[in-house]
Amino acid sequence: MKHTLIVISISLILFGIFTSCSKEFLDVPVQGQGTTKTDPALAQNLVTGVYNSLLAGEAFGGDGGDTHGISFIAATNIMSDDADKGSTPSDQSALNDIDNFTISPTNTFVAALWNGYYTGISKANQALVALSTASLTDVTKNKLIGEVRFIRGYYYFNLVRLFGKVPKVLRVPKDAQDANTDPEFQTRASVDTIYNVIIQDLQFAANNLPLRSNASVGHVDKGAAQTLLAKVYMYRKEWQKVFDLTQEVISSGQYDLVADYSTIWRQIGDNSIESVFEIQTGQFNNSDYGIQGYSVWQGPRVGGKGGWTDLGFGFGTPSANLVNAYEANDVRKASTIIVIDNSGQHKGTVLFDGFRIPSADSVQNLYYNYKAYHSENSSIETFNGNRDRKQKNVHLLRYAEVLLMNAEAANELGQSNTATTLLNRIRKRAGLQDTNASSQTDVRDAIWKERRFELAMEHDRFFDLVRQGRAAQVMQAAGKNFVAGKNELLPVPSLQIALSGGQLDQNNGY
Amino acid sequence: MNKLLLFYTRCRYVFLSAVRIYVFGVALFLITAIQAMSQNRAVSGTVKDSGGEGIPGASVLIKGTTTGTTTDSNGKFTLSAPDNAVLVVAFVGYEKVEVPVNNQSEINVTLQSSTTELAQVVVVGYGTQRKVDVTGATASVKGEELAKQPVLTATQAIQGKAAGVQIISSGQPGSSPVIRVRGTGTALAGTAALFVVDGVLTDDISNINTADIVSMDVLKDASATAIYGSRGANGVVIITTKKGSAGGIKVNYTTNIGMRSATNLVQMANAQEYANYVSAASGTSVTPGSVSTDWYDQILRNGWYQNHNLSLSGGSDKSTYFLSMGYFTDEGIVIDNKYKRFNIRSNTDFTLSDKVKVGVVSSYTNANTRDVNLGSAYNNAYRAAPTIAAMENGKYGNTSVYQNVGNPILDIKNNNQRDIDNRLQGSAYLEFKPVRSLTFRSSIGGDLLSKNERVYNYQFNNDTSTFINPGGNQRNPNSNLNIISTRSFRWVWDNTLTFSQSFDKHNLTVLVGTTAEQYTMDWLSAFRKDVPADPSLWYINTGNANTSTNDGGGDKWARNSYLGRVNYNYNDRYLLTATVRADGSSRFPSSNRWALFPSVGAGWVISGENFMQTQQIFETLKLRASWGRVGNDRIPSDAFTVTVTPNLAYPYGGGIATPGSAITQIKDPNLKWEVTEEFDLGLDFALLKGRLTGEIGYYNKKSKDLLINVKVPSVTGDADGVVLTNAASIQNVGLEVALNWRGNITEEITYRVGGNLTLNNNKVIGLNGGQPILDGGIGGNQIYTTRTDNDQPVGSFYLLNVVGVFQNQGEIDNYKNSKGTIIQSSASPGDFKYQDTNDDGKIDDNDRVFAGSYQPKAYFGINGSLSYKGFDLSADIYGNVGNKVYNGKKAFRLGVFDNVEADMAYSRWTPANGSQTEPAANGGNLPASTYFLESGSFIRLNNVTLGYNLPATLTQKVKVASVRVFITAQNLYTYKKFSGFTPELPGDPTKAGIELNAYPTTRTIAGGLSVNF
Repeated sequence: MKHTLIVISISLILFGIFTSCSKEFLDVPVQGQGTTKTDPALAQNLVTGVYNSLLAGEAFGGDGGDTHGISFIAATNIMSDDADKGSTPSDQSALNDIDNFTISPTNTFVAALWNGYYTGISKANQALVALSTASLTDVTKNKLIGEVRFIRGYYYFNLVRLFGKVPKVLRVPKDAQDANTDPEFQTRASVDTIYNVIIQDLQFAANNLPLRSNASVGHVDKGAAQTLLAKVYMYRKEWQKVFDLTQEVISSGQYDLVADYSTIWRQIGDNSIESVFEIQTGQFNNSDYGIQGYSVWQGPRVGGKGGWTDLGFGFGTPSANLVNAYEANDVRKASTIIVIDNSGQHKGTVLFDGFRIPSADSVQNLYYNYKAYHSENSSIETFNGNRDRKQKNVHLLRYAEVLLMNAEAANELGQSNTATTLLNRIRKRAGLQDTNASSQTDVRDAIWKERRFELAMEHDRFFDLVRQGRAAQVMQAAGKNFVAGKNELLPVPSLQIALSGGQLDQNNGY
Repeated sequence: MNKLLLFYTRCRYVFLSAVRIYVFGVALFLITAIQAMSQNRAVSGTVKDSGGEGIPGASVLIKGTTTGTTTDSNGKFTLSAPDNAVLVVAFVGYEKVEVPVNNQSEINVTLQSSTTELAQVVVVGYGTQRKVDVTGATASVKGEELAKQPVLTATQAIQGKAAGVQIISSGQPGSSPVIRVRGTGTALAGTAALFVVDGVLTDDISNINTADIVSMDVLKDASATAIYGSRGANGVVIITTKKGSAGGIKVNYTTNIGMRSATNLVQMANAQEYANYVSAASGTSVTPGSVSTDWYDQILRNGWYQNHNLSLSGGSDKSTYFLSMGYFTDEGIVIDNKYKRFNIRSNTDFTLSDKVKVGVVSSYTNANTRDVNLGSAYNNAYRAAPTIAAMENGKYGNTSVYQNVGNPILDIKNNNQRDIDNRLQGSAYLEFKPVRSLTFRSSIGGDLLSKNERVYNYQFNNDTSTFINPGGNQRNPNSNLNIISTRSFRWVWDNTLTFSQSFDKHNLTVLVGTTAEQYTMDWLSAFRKDVPADPSLWYINTGNANTSTNDGGGDKWARNSYLGRVNYNYNDRYLLTATVRADGSSRFPSSNRWALFPSVGAGWVISGENFMQTQQIFETLKLRASWGRVGNDRIPSDAFTVTVTPNLAYPYGGGIATPGSAITQIKDPNLKWEVTEEFDLGLDFALLKGRLTGEIGYYNKKSKDLLINVKVPSVTGDADGVVLTNAASIQNVGLEVALNWRGNITEEITYRVGGNLTLNNNKVIGLNGGQPILDGGIGGNQIYTTRTDNDQPVGSFYLLNVVGVFQNQGEIDNYKNSKGTIIQSSASPGDFKYQDTNDDGKIDDNDRVFAGSYQPKAYFGINGSLSYKGFDLSADIYGNVGNKVYNGKKAFRLGVFDNVEADMAYSRWTPANGSQTEPAANGGNLPASTYFLESGSFIRLNNVTLGYNLPATLTQKVKVASVRVFITAQNLYTYKKFSGFTPELPGDPTKAGIELNAYPTTRTIAGGLSVNF
């Protein structure tokens, strides 16, 4: 009996030990992963995380999607009359579909864009939540909020131009249930509503960000916000606002054109006086750190007889249509397009860093995008061997476009002379004569034409054609299978429609 | 106290505990009053077992009456019977015996142990029970059954052996098969059953040498598994390893050596067939040239496999030991692949006094895997053009420059991957019996795993030093080395107190206990480029320090539980088991952390009733029913905590980037337990003197609040687009039948035939207010292929329905919806005609239909054996019917230059053959449709073994106790309708049954030898 008691008491003690300490025993914090509480500089770090989304290029369903990788290249350059799919005819047939306007709602690149921009927007929303409670001075806080809202506004601007109506998501879903049930996440807001969101975000940024000279290099500043806002107003045809905003940027004295057009897209042109907003690249984790895939997808590709180590996959090649459209003597052509030697004399093509591409019988395509070329000679441009993330800054807004927008607004407001003065400034750098356009219509056409060459392969052409209301006309003339009233927009990804339980509606014609 | 002691001395205990189990089940039988029934002759005697021990509580009945008695604590009985009466002597676990009285007044009876399954002792959680006392559904497989199969893990070896247990095994070497007990009741990767190895809970048993296993017991229903509470929802497999027994040293050496080869290969098009097809598909003429490469031939080989085991066991009445050593090597069927495993085991028990026992079981395993890039090699072998030479003069054919597909041989040769696992697993216990009815047991188990992965990628360029012709994207400009070191440790501490007592005909066992468990893991990875190609320099320090990167992470979780069980048995006829377990898991938020898992089971041993003593048909007949609740917590430790992803950097102004962070995953802060509620009804029987045994079972399992990775819209910003949440409820209703017959043709020829069949119906019965779950995306434009929705089986295929092939333009123009819209206006003759399900005049996702699922309607196993003198022959068959598989690798075809299956090359639509089922030659990239869906039914001759035991007269001459030689064949023949490699496709239930990476299955022929000294 004594033993029984002993055993029972031992057991009770053991039970007791566990009952009393099991609360702590089971309170196991997540290992090796910070939470919102463990990082004292959470808000600032989340802001950098928002910038980080500019580098996303996961085109095949990977985490984070694609904001500026091949999907972006496809939906801007390849889809326009400036570029072709490139590469070999059979490679990536889903890109052929984008090039030829046979896009289906299951297209992986279209889905990657939708995913990429909304992932970025969500990061921005998360950062805004953290910023709202962060203990920072108002000036610092509003500057950081301004940077985040600029990027969010930019993403919505891309979304509304790519897809038209899109869901308006300005908050963080509480959980999966919330994400799957709140109509905000499941239905599309009108184009006007989305433009209002964009304008509010950019206006806040313009009001709270410092001028370029007071901002750290690579951060969004006041000029960038004003320029993007001007561009948004240009798409809304609010010309006075376009004019005023660009005028303010011009008179801020922060920007100028660089003398040599060819340097803009080389590493020596990074963050130049002309730069208004550009995606930054550099090094991280002992490796190159740039937009995923941007350069390598567009790099010259081996073909035919081969015999050389090529530089990439050869997508997004400048079209013959673009090549032939330049005026004679336009210096911008040679800075924009790598022309493969097809003369039969086997001279090859020597690039600015001395790299020689053999002639056409060893190369897959006839033209490549020079603006995406980044030297692998590390004495010329920084290169640590990571082709997937080459240090190629992407110039999304630059001063030349500010001048062109200012000119277009001036012309629309009846000041065609002001417009031609600005236009000629651009033409002069390109080595061209002054324009002889003078009527409002002619000047408008001249500006539109100038935009094509000045900003060629800079992801603007397709949107510009749609904005100008002549996408169908120009694309059909270029021999593309463009259906007016349908192909101005991409289809809403079918998986997203299915995940919304059919509440997301599809664009016309898809 | 004295009174109690006196009481005990009147009792006789029968210990039925098997080798080293946590709690000793005690059966106690009490003397009952002797009844003098008539004026007839008084008969007395003793009922003994084969060892000469008296059997208490055995029933002695006069045949044809209900008159009788039971034996006393010494096995003695006295009763009065007519001179011509026949006495029926029976006791559970022994063969029934009939003895005529024939005027004798003393009758001694020896009962032989019954070999029927019902009489066997089975292992249940935290104890053992006689099978007859079990109220839950369990299945037991003996070690000998497992050891003869040439497989790596024991899991594979129980395929087809137990009703209700489905084993899905891919052909991938070194992979662990998936176990599903009674249908798919859970949707996450945690669908695997729980393994309990000598009391240590684990998810992976690839370290256990099959030769060391005594038995594998599968607990199937909630009554049996509820003692494991939160871990039990997917069934529990208890593995017991060998122990020594008192007596001299026994030595056993077992070996088997064999050859593995690929089987069920898919025939790909040869160069000519390929050229014809691709020319037709691409519109450009492809000429076959002089080579025709069979890429599977290039990367596959016949591989040797060998297995050696040496064991030593013995002991005295105070201590026993079992020591073993095993060595296993397996080359696999892919070039360069190799697996080696060395393990040692030491299991010892010591009786310190009649009250105290201690013991240790321990094993050490060293596994060395030379891994290869199977995924990309197989995938590329399926796609690579046969017109490209594999290799010429040591240089590789350049498939990537031709068609953007890597050369499969180079996929394997361009890297060297080696994993070394060192695993120490064991437990120690202390058992204390202060008084006979009470046992206290405390055991501590540990499982330490240290894993070292080394991946070296050779430097090579896409020039003529590597390739026959230069170019393409298969290149690696800088060699690199990545070393990943992972350490994990898990401990379990169990404390149980068992009270076992019998009062008259009431037998009671009560168990209470606590368990605590903790797991910690950390990993460290280092990487450098430009490491020289010499293997002796494959250390991080030899690489270029400017390219160093490192990474690391960890995990930790804990569980704490309280458990209790009551087993009550009245007169060996009426059985009641009730268990309860309270489980706490750190993987749930504190508000939902604890859950209670109760169960109750009842059994009625009908054959024990007096009215059954007069019949001759049933030896045992038992009806059982149970209800219980079990749970599942196998989700990641970070599932409910919002975490911040670091190192999402941005290089402001160029140069070194500034680290940033982001919250990229939506978490469900209210995550709760997934609970399975199960009702079970069963009938166990043994007929005709135990020649026919079997069981019939019915179950109804409802799993609520299933933890599922639910796809969420991209607008939520969840980076991977899935959120783990309690998203659905699933029901599995099924019927299981198992029958075993043993008999003999002549005195010397005996045989056994057994079979089991499980019918299962799986369906989703709720979505917790959420959307249907889409899954099974395979890339291209087949973004999803399955939909888990109400009233459908989990992971049902959801596809466009192919209704035919357009024969001509006229058919395309005439294929209109009810409003007259041409449905597929852009189609060409030879394209598929899809069903416009919603009649909206176009084909899109809204036209998809449910087309079946991977969940089989039935699965079965058949096994038989035959023995004649020293020879024995056995065979196992396994199969399943009524499910579908999706030919994902065929559906994934994205490039027009990708190779096709030979069958496609011939059966493709042409205007002449007018096929209605195969499309014209095409470049792939087709939408997800029923074209890719095929029958998943198969039947396989799993194992055939022929053995011969040398006659003892012969072996004794060389002083050897016994010698057995055998030959065995694994996976000898499969009959399947599926055109792919294998219809056995493990995977998460919401996307199971998709053949994407196409692993050929393996056939093994081996010979072996077993010697006992």
